[in-house]
Amino acid sequence: MAQAPAATLTQNVLREGLILSRTPDPAVMVIFGASGDLTARKLMPALYNLALNRYLPSGFSVIGVADTPLSEDDFRAHMADAVRKFSRTQPVDRAVWQSVAEGLSYVRMPFDDLDGYGRLAAELERMDRERGTNGNRVFYFATAPQFFPVIVERLGASGIARTGAGWKRVVIEKPFGHDLKTAKELNHTIHSVFAEPQVYRIDHYLGKETVQNVLVFRFANGIFEPIWNRRYVDHIQITVAEDIGIERRGKYYESSGALRDIFQNHLLQLLSIAAMEPPPNFDADTVRDEKVKVLKSIHPVDVDNDVVRGQYGPGWVGGQQVPGYRQEQNVSPNSMTETYVAVRLKIDNWRWADTPFYLRTGKRLPSRASEIAIQFKSAPHQPFAKTAIQGMTPNVLVMRIQPHEGASLKIAAKIPGPVMRLRTVNMDFFYGSSFLVESPDAYERLVLDCMLGDPTLFAREDEVERAWGLADTIEDGWAGQPAPDFPNYPAGSWGPEAADALIERDGRRWRRP
Amino acid sequence: MSSNHTELSVQTFVDVHAIQEELEQVRWGLHGDGELSEAAQHAANEARASVLNLIAVVGNEAEKDTVIRVLDRLSVTNPSRTLILLAQHTKGADKLEAQVSAQDRTETGHRVTTERVILHAHGEPARHLASLVTPLLISDIPVVLWWPGEPQFDHPLFNDLCHLADRLVVDTDEGFAQPDLRRLLEVARREHASASIGDLNWARLIAWRHVAAQCFDIPGLLDDLAGIHGVSIYYGSDGSTAQASLLGGWIRSRMATVGIEVPLEFRADDSHEHGICRCVIYTTGDDGPGRFSFTRLRGGRLSVEIRLGDQELARRTVRLEARPPEELLGIELTLPGHDVLFEEALAAVLR
Repeated sequence: MAQAPAATLTQNVLREGLILSRTPDPAVMVIFGASGDLTARKLMPALYNLALNRYLPSGFSVIGVADTPLSEDDFRAHMADAVRKFSRTQPVDRAVWQSVAEGLSYVRMPFDDLDGYGRLAAELERMDRERGTNGNRVFYFATAPQFFPVIVERLGASGIARTGAGWKRVVIEKPFGHDLKTAKELNHTIHSVFAEPQVYRIDHYLGKETVQNVLVFRFANGIFEPIWNRRYVDHIQITVAEDIGIERRGKYYESSGALRDIFQNHLLQLLSIAAMEPPPNFDADTVRDEKVKVLKSIHPVDVDNDVVRGQYGPGWVGGQQVPGYRQEQNVSPNSMTETYVAVRLKIDNWRWADTPFYLRTGKRLPSRASEIAIQFKSAPHQPFAKTAIQGMTPNVLVMRIQPHEGASLKIAAKIPGPVMRLRTVNMDFFYGSSFLVESPDAYERLVLDCMLGDPTLFAREDEVERAWGLADTIEDGWAGQPAPDFPNYPAGSWGPEAADALIERDGRRWRRP
Repeated sequence: MSSNHTELSVQTFVDVHAIQEELEQVRWGLHGDGELSEAAQHAANEARASVLNLIAVVGNEAEKDTVIRVLDRLSVTNPSRTLILLAQHTKGADKLEAQVSAQDRTETGHRVTTERVILHAHGEPARHLASLVTPLLISDIPVVLWWPGEPQFDHPLFNDLCHLADRLVVDTDEGFAQPDLRRLLEVARREHASASIGDLNWARLIAWRHVAAQCFDIPGLLDDLAGIHGVSIYYGSDGSTAQASLLGGWIRSRMATVGIEVPLEFRADDSHEHGICRCVIYTTGDDGPGRFSFTRLRGGRLSVEIRLGDQELARRTVRLEARPPEELLGIELTLPGHDVLFEEALAAVLR
């Protein structure tokens, strides 16, 4: 064939029009805690599904790191088993898995063993040499949080985090710190080795399709933003309700509680997304700047009047009798850990001045529901007779995150008949009934974003610290209060009576999600 | 994904007003007297999401049954009002039959209910089916015309429906020879053409395109792409060359955007029955001659091999799924506007 004259390309012209604007660079993902639950349940199935859909670059490799005695073959077999069990796509494609498995290796070491990091460095060099990964690294911390600082310190001391060509990124699972002080310390430790743009703090809620859809709903539709403000919105309720208890996480939950486990991250993320200003573009820092502005605008919380905590006692959920929190495994019989939090927040800016945001989360509530409900003000004047509008409620726009993802709008309609009588009806949009397709797992999206170097859906340092600052204010306020009378709500109820009083004082009521 | 599928109502009509009335009833689950029918009541309680009007034109009863099966499965991802047109231009009595039905489908806890109208016309009404279609469309949502077989480019019905539609979807794998591809390009580039063109065969190439593009994302290989000097495409020897043409046209058209002319070579390969078997991109770069080979393997996989000079740089296997028609159609239905890449690929290979 004829030889064409050489030309220079600045971009891959074959990429145009394909779903991904580019493929991640070949890289090695080093998973600390590779023999643990998160790796088996989430990470490896996510990596397999990314490979299946051709999103992973050739040469992509994984080094599992843990102190569990496993040979490399054992590790591969363990991962294959995990993918077979937990992959959202079944059956597992053997050839694709084989391609992934060829890039797996395992280094056994305690996380504080500097010699182990020497072996890890040698393995990384081998990967670069044999698989063309060019020094690109994702360090994924899938361990218990107490190991984060030592791993960072050792990665720095061994030179692994800095040496050679290529990019280095670190992914850190929640909880990111235990309070503002420890979060700052952790940030400080991490920044002694990694710069902020290299740090990817995961809140898997942000990887959920439906959470991203809230942004689309708000900013891709022209009809909502004009009424998305204090002039039309009476208040906003954000709920993350769980019907399950703490399952086998008693030890973790005792030191965490609902405030740290859900409020500090998921609830405040949903609040930021619901309340933020439209970003001028979807760049990582632009979006996160707007979210941080919301957190900065939160009015100081009056813990005595704006916060209610609760702990479930025995009760019935979904027809099953369940124990109280204090009877759960690994929980102190006198535990004062909260399993429920309700908070009233105000945001001091022009858009939301005097519009309360009611946030609540709890365990062993009657049903599982995550949603953002925008409660609009009543029509300023009703031309209909009082009898006609009896029982009418103002418009509510609900964005459901889970389950039954979608949106519904509650509106008034005339009841058919010769007399003018109105009633409230729901217009429902089920995300699932328009797109009955299986959504990618949140981890797939987030892992891919990290490899592409896009931190939009990860929490930034200032975001995390602002959120902890708010959680600390509440913790400090609780410390100055008399001990609560726990348990104060039976499993299967919607939380303590004081939470109802919190909102009813303002002439409002909690929604039943 | 488990599913059940309930047909809620089937009736035959010949009058457009009667069809419209029945459509309203099956859509909202009403009896003729305005009461909810028991079977339809649960459907009426569900949200009615419709994302499209989908018109499918079929040539015979067997094709109709195939299309119904595809559209039923498609409703899972694209709940639509579907109109299936069977036009038989035979001599004899003029006849128009319409069958209206609603389908209720449940998948993993979600329910979708859609309506289907089958219009079967003989004689003169077959020439004017487009006039019956317009009043049966749901307003304000796009109209997609799916022509599963080879289009009758010169038939008035084809032109009338193209004017009505926002998108025409064909399958160039259905016996499209070079003159047919040329006619298709003409339709796409017609002045004031309202319908953009989609091709299921183009959707089948997504994996090939994705993997080929991915090779040149590997750091340092962009220069090899700049040194591309030939592409060989091997296809099954059953006579269908449209897919190979599109792949070759795609590479040629993309490279033409940066002023690089790519010679294409097409070869029949006896070892496979249908479609592209192999594609090899030849390049020249700093590390010597490059050879990027993509080979279709049995069991729905694609093997990728990159050789630069004497060295094998990468080798891997990825999934090459044989997507069912409803999935290919679903992909085409989510593409907005004119698919410029497709049109340019078509134009490049027909040059």
